[in-house]
Amino acid sequence: MKLLTRTSRYYLLISVVVFVISGLIFFRLLHTIFEKQLDETLFEEKLLIEETINFSDSVPDFRSVFGHMIDITIVNTSHVKTEYIRDTLMYDRDLGSFAAFRHLFVENTSVKHKGYTINIYKPLSDSEKLITEIILIVVLVFIILLVLLVWANYFIARRVWIPFYRTISNLSHYEINQEKPLSLMKTDIYEFNLLNQALAKMSKKIQQDYINLKEFNENASHELLTPISVIKSKLELLIQGEDLDEQQLQLISSVFDATSRISKLNQGLLLISKIENNQFAQAEEVNMSQIIDITLEHFEEIIEHRKIVITKKYFHEVILNMNRTLAEILITNLISNAIRHNIASGNIEIILTADSFSVTNTGQHLKLTRPVCLNDSENRKAILIQWDLDSQSYKKLPIFTK
Amino acid sequence: MKILLIEDEKELSCSITEYLQKESYLCEAVLTFDDAIEKINMYQYDCIIVDINLPDGSGLNVIRALKKNKSETGIIIISAKNSLDDKVSGLGIGADDYLTKPFHLPELNARVKSIIRRRSFGGINEIVFNDIRILPEEMEVTVNGNSLDLTKKEYALLIFFISNKDRVLTKESIAEHLWGDEMDMADSFDFIYTHIKNLRKKIMEKGGEDYIRTIYGMGYKFTDR
Repeated sequence: MKLLTRTSRYYLLISVVVFVISGLIFFRLLHTIFEKQLDETLFEEKLLIEETINFSDSVPDFRSVFGHMIDITIVNTSHVKTEYIRDTLMYDRDLGSFAAFRHLFVENTSVKHKGYTINIYKPLSDSEKLITEIILIVVLVFIILLVLLVWANYFIARRVWIPFYRTISNLSHYEINQEKPLSLMKTDIYEFNLLNQALAKMSKKIQQDYINLKEFNENASHELLTPISVIKSKLELLIQGEDLDEQQLQLISSVFDATSRISKLNQGLLLISKIENNQFAQAEEVNMSQIIDITLEHFEEIIEHRKIVITKKYFHEVILNMNRTLAEILITNLISNAIRHNIASGNIEIILTADSFSVTNTGQHLKLTRPVCLNDSENRKAILIQWDLDSQSYKKLPIFTK
Repeated sequence: MKILLIEDEKELSCSITEYLQKESYLCEAVLTFDDAIEKINMYQYDCIIVDINLPDGSGLNVIRALKKNKSETGIIIISAKNSLDDKVSGLGIGADDYLTKPFHLPELNARVKSIIRRRSFGGINEIVFNDIRILPEEMEVTVNGNSLDLTKKEYALLIFFISNKDRVLTKESIAEHLWGDEMDMADSFDFIYTHIKNLRKKIMEKGGEDYIRTIYGMGYKFTDR
């Protein structure tokens, strides 16, 4: 999820929660205010009615005056004073259905000792309608505000984060084995400048380490060559001795094996440092099928010895612009691995098409397929670990030769 | 047969000298570029072995100096750098062979022999070892006068053996001689055994003697002693 999406989402979520809560409080408040007002009106009416009753001892017709249901009864016996106010449902003749009313009930004894009851019903629908309208307006205003705010936030954030995204893009395009240092643009935002500074410092350090390591690798493998040569030559002289017994020969043989392992390792390291130093940059037209044929001829006896059956399928003549030595190393490695990790009387299938080269061999338990993509830029990425044909990108080869 | 070795690493120089002297070559060794130039101006050599990276100059310049004197000396470059450019320029200015360190002494010996053979026998280019005769130009081998039919690798193996007769050859040096160093033969030494067995069988079939001795755990030796 993108940073902007996430912040916008949180922003929206919090706004909605705040709105719902404040909306509810607002509604409650509004409701209370309206109810209070209604009740005040009812009590005012009640007072008016009571005054009239006390004054005239007759049932006044207030209906036409106040315009809502008022029910007054007067009896000769006195009443105990009771008074309450409540919400009630009643049949409303005007609407033709039940509706909510505010009901004030008063029971009392007048000055002339006559008991009276007053029921005043005031419909709640009017005030509820008003509340609904107010709420609707508020919601509308809120939605407009929210949309505007989210939109503004999104655009502001997008503007503000531009240097950050630029840094990320620079970082992802940065390659450590390139000579040029990581270049990050200066921004007017303090934190991003800090970040860029830290990154620049770090990348510089990494690059320095990388160069040091590369140089060390190169120097070490070069320096190792001489002592290895000396050891090898001395051992070769040593075994010429006439009076060596079997045990001594065995010991020398072990030293020999170890020395050749070091020697092989060193050769690998040297090859890697050469590739890293772009010493194989010189490209020429290389005929792949020709190289494969030469390599197969080279291993002819071993193939025969192991009774391996080779199936060659060249569908196209493939001529690539690449370094010949590297092409030979690649093909030799693939084929010699296919021979080495094969079973006796096994087979190897070599397929060369316009855009792919594959060497398939039989194995003990698993079938190894080593496809190498030659031209197809789409597929190339997937098999990069083994080979990359851009003349500058031979660097991927070490992983393979290792 | 006079050989000049120009190699700045003293220990390696000693080993090479010792190995070549057993072939009854007269092997002189110098450690610096200046000494090398002095030597080649004063004496005539049949073959010089030169390291490219010398402390006070490039081995390539030694070769150039030799060629300026119109010398017929055979030249083998030994270099720590397995660089194609060096190889191409070295062979381009007249070197006969190029060997990358670390190499096997028998390999160097075989190359020296091959160069000397090609240059100095005045047309009689022939390798003889008791009853075995080899005509390298025709790639023809006879045993007791009977022609021997060898594969390319068996032929190379036989030449390698005869070039290093009476020497113990490790399986590794044989493998490298036959297939180069790109093939890791550590698990395929039994294959060399098969090759040697075939060669031995073919020679004996034609009435030849079995000169190949197995040195336990180490390799083989081609000897009539």
